[in-house]
Amino acid sequence: MSENLKANFEKYALLSYHHIPEVHKIDIYESAGGYVSMHKAFKMGPDKIKEEVKESGLRGRGGAGFPCGTKWGFFSKDRKQKKYLLCNADESEPGTFKDRYLVEKNPHILIEGMIISAFALGVDKAYIYIRGEFYQQAKILENAIEEAYAKKYLGKNILGSDFDLDITVHRGAGAYICGEETGMISSLEGKKGQPKLKPPFPAIKGYRGLPTMVNNVETLSAVPWIVNFGGKSYRQWGTEKSPGTKLFSISGDVFRPGVIEVPLGISLKEIIDNHCHGVSGSRILKAVIPGGSSAPILTAEEAMEVTMDYEAIAAKGSMLGSGAIIVLNSTRNIGEILKWTLEFYHHESCGQCTPCREGTGWLDSILKRKLFHKSKLDDVDLMDQVASNMRGTTICALSDAAAMPTQGIIKKFRKELETYISTQGNN
Amino acid sequence: MGKEKITINWNGKDLEVEEGSNLLKAALDNGIKVAHYCYHLGLPVAGVCRMCMVEQEGVPRPFPSCNANVAPGIKVRNDSEKVKNMVEWALQLHLVNHPLDCPICDQAGECGLQEYYLNYGLYDSSMIDQKVHKPKVQDIGRNVMLDAERCILCSRCVRFTDHITQSFEMGIVNRGDHATIVAHDELHNDYAMNLVDICPVGALTSKDFRFKQRVWFLHEEITTCIGCETGCKVKISYNESGAYRVKPVFDSEVNGYWMCDDGRDIYKHLSRADRVFSPMKKSQGLFLPTDEKTVFETVKGKKAKFILSAGLFNEEYEQFFERFRANKEQVALYTLPNMGEDFDGILIRGNKNANLKGAEAYFLKAGHDPSVEQFNRLLSSLSDKDVVFVVVPEILYNQDHFETLVKKLSKAKYKIALTTNDSMMILQEFDFLLPLKAFAEKAGTIVNFNSQERHMNAGKIFVPEAKELAHYVEALL
Amino acid sequence: MKSAEKFEYSAENKKKYDHLLTRYDDVESALLPALHLAQDQNGYISESVMKYLSELMNIPVVKISEVVSFYDMFYNHPVGKNIIQVCTNITCSMFGGRELFQDLCRQFGAGQLKPVNNNKYMFQKMECLGACEQAPCMRVNNDYHGKLNLDEAIRIIKELD
Repeated sequence: MSENLKANFEKYALLSYHHIPEVHKIDIYESAGGYVSMHKAFKMGPDKIKEEVKESGLRGRGGAGFPCGTKWGFFSKDRKQKKYLLCNADESEPGTFKDRYLVEKNPHILIEGMIISAFALGVDKAYIYIRGEFYQQAKILENAIEEAYAKKYLGKNILGSDFDLDITVHRGAGAYICGEETGMISSLEGKKGQPKLKPPFPAIKGYRGLPTMVNNVETLSAVPWIVNFGGKSYRQWGTEKSPGTKLFSISGDVFRPGVIEVPLGISLKEIIDNHCHGVSGSRILKAVIPGGSSAPILTAEEAMEVTMDYEAIAAKGSMLGSGAIIVLNSTRNIGEILKWTLEFYHHESCGQCTPCREGTGWLDSILKRKLFHKSKLDDVDLMDQVASNMRGTTICALSDAAAMPTQGIIKKFRKELETYISTQGNN
Repeated sequence: MGKEKITINWNGKDLEVEEGSNLLKAALDNGIKVAHYCYHLGLPVAGVCRMCMVEQEGVPRPFPSCNANVAPGIKVRNDSEKVKNMVEWALQLHLVNHPLDCPICDQAGECGLQEYYLNYGLYDSSMIDQKVHKPKVQDIGRNVMLDAERCILCSRCVRFTDHITQSFEMGIVNRGDHATIVAHDELHNDYAMNLVDICPVGALTSKDFRFKQRVWFLHEEITTCIGCETGCKVKISYNESGAYRVKPVFDSEVNGYWMCDDGRDIYKHLSRADRVFSPMKKSQGLFLPTDEKTVFETVKGKKAKFILSAGLFNEEYEQFFERFRANKEQVALYTLPNMGEDFDGILIRGNKNANLKGAEAYFLKAGHDPSVEQFNRLLSSLSDKDVVFVVVPEILYNQDHFETLVKKLSKAKYKIALTTNDSMMILQEFDFLLPLKAFAEKAGTIVNFNSQERHMNAGKIFVPEAKELAHYVEALL
Repeated sequence: MKSAEKFEYSAENKKKYDHLLTRYDDVESALLPALHLAQDQNGYISESVMKYLSELMNIPVVKISEVVSFYDMFYNHPVGKNIIQVCTNITCSMFGGRELFQDLCRQFGAGQLKPVNNNKYMFQKMECLGACEQAPCMRVNNDYHGKLNLDEAIRIIKELD
């Protein structure tokens, strides 16, 4: 391995191969160091793999941030028990495009991660549930999977062991709620993507009533590095509670939007100023949505103070979420931002449980009362009340995901919101 | 399911509940009021209405009690301010897009939304926005009307056609607040009217009952259906002006929570307007009112023969045989022919004789022969020395079969029908009609297919002039 | 659209469907891929398509209807030959995505989900397409196009056959 290449593994866990042309081809991927980890993993054995992942402190990179090693620990260790591994490639959280960026260039890192994970968990059937709009990316993954089968990295008796694994790419069809793990399971079962009551949890009773492990693309793709270099090494990056690196998708008012991989704990200021070359347009920062549209907004002041790790952002009343950062300059109307956000949740609510179904629609309506000459003085208070009563009361978190940003904006940008509501325009 | 009892604590009070039971069920069984729409004891859990929220000691957040099981010693509350607020808001959100159709909605007076608004709501609505509109007034077949706008999407009807009838007819299409309840095709199962019962609101209503009565003007009497030998426990709703509908009553022994659609019609012949309320004599092709004296004077001297139906009560057979001491050749039992399959796997049985087992038992006890052979013998034996009394079955699915019987009566000198109604053309063959009490006007017992005794209760008596069989036997003698 | 004819999979698609079934442990799980296949062939999921799949897969028609109505990418009404999906979520709206959608509709005389130009085009407002770094973004059939202005978008659309 060239020095250049080695350096990449010291800087990145996920984007190590991203600069290599045609690395979606298995031979190129392997010559750059790909699948070494898989071979090592098979020699280590399932328990050691799980140990390393646990030690690494890797947290779910899809949005929930739940420790992966712990989640794997809930899973049945019975290798004869029929179980499933689902890779969540539904990536629909507004502002998020990191998984797409990762797999369209380097599908094999995900496949390698899934093979190792499936081997560790004792799963012989895995699915990549990819959002329906990612048609080209699905094709790229399918081709890569075919290459893996040809090399006997998939199928029966992988690497001469008694371990079999089949991976199938399963396309969604346009529904944000299918990114919720039980919504995804329902969709994979051929039904509407409506989340299921929890308990029981998928690790116990998921797809087809059987134990199912659902992990995000980024989470699974980090596994090869962790196996290769050890869980302890993974902790060289990040903070104690938020170890490792994270893919951030940055868009909005920056000169250089895109995906970066940086250690957790990096300051948001550094991301915006250095990696993204600063705020564009008016060049004055107004606010930042730090973790996808479900994450409550941060004021410019908060944004310049905060570090990007789970705890620090939570301390500011928001969440790291999917790591989707939307930067807003001073020309942006926060009322409009809320309008677009609420329209999103209104459109995407699956409709199953009443508080979310009716609440997302009502919030959308209240915000638009001006258009129907129905604005009232206390509309903002009403929105706050409705949002507050949509939280903690539903089958899944979509209701909270609509309510929290609403309350965040009411708390931090109330004046601007009031102006917007009464004029449907800027202040 | 373990039948062992354990103790849990609800709102500070200890409760005895069945081990492993559903938490909400345990509370409801113990008479505790917990608001709920989507939960139904006869259907699988959905957990979508979010009304049944409770708090439990040691559990960080409130959760729906329908998605939990009891465990020994747990302490549950639904009386805290937090939970009460959750229930009020869950209700308020249910009403956001609900059309205020109360003045024209049949469900008024027995509507889940009205009921909970009075108990848990009583707030001033802040909803001044445009509501979502959905298709109303859809006739989806099998006597069911669908109003998708009123639907609160509790999914009970979907679970019913998925799990109980397994006919997969109801569904919910679209996402979010455009989610709409639909019947993809016309309903085609035999239990469709249960959908009307389980719908908490006026989304699924009965076409038969549509706009006929306000429920607060109705009384209910619990009795047993006489449509077939299953003997489902039912209640009939009625008032001064008539009987209006039939609904099932939960019965753990026979019908659970349901009844079939055929049984829904058993109230239709009860109202006074459709009944015979005086003895009638045929005169020049018309039936004119007469009196018992005239009837029995006319037939005096003739030999009385009786053809009884298999839908009378045990007590009626007993009293009949006590009073009518006769030869075996003088009494026979008319049994209705089977219809459809022997048993459809849910409730409907092909044997439509509601009290066949009871009839046979009392015939035999009195030394008489309830068989078809005896029935045929009696028919062939008829001559102009005879007056034949026929008890007309109240519920008659196969009129042709009954007509065949009636045609065979021509050899008798006089033919008298003991009947509740006179709408059938074939009754023209009879010389006299005597008004009979309907099943819902009498109390007694019948015996179902499984030899279980099923009770009959007397509700409103629409025709006080009608008498029971025993009365006419006495008048005869 | 030959909506009056009874739908069935082409020979090629039937082969693909049969292969699909081998990837899942029950038939129902193959419904979404089966619907994609049917829609690619028929343009949209008609009543006939649903009846066909219902018999083929032994899934009640009402369940298939539920699924089709639930997902943004399945259509139970006739569509245009080319489907243009414009994102109107946060970042894309910041960079003119909504105006782009309205202007395109005006340009082509279209509206949300209404086929125009002899059914050649159909425009659809979409939520976040996952390409925010290229805002404003649109999806034309299976391809993404980003960093668009109105002229560029019109050019791309007019080049479609």
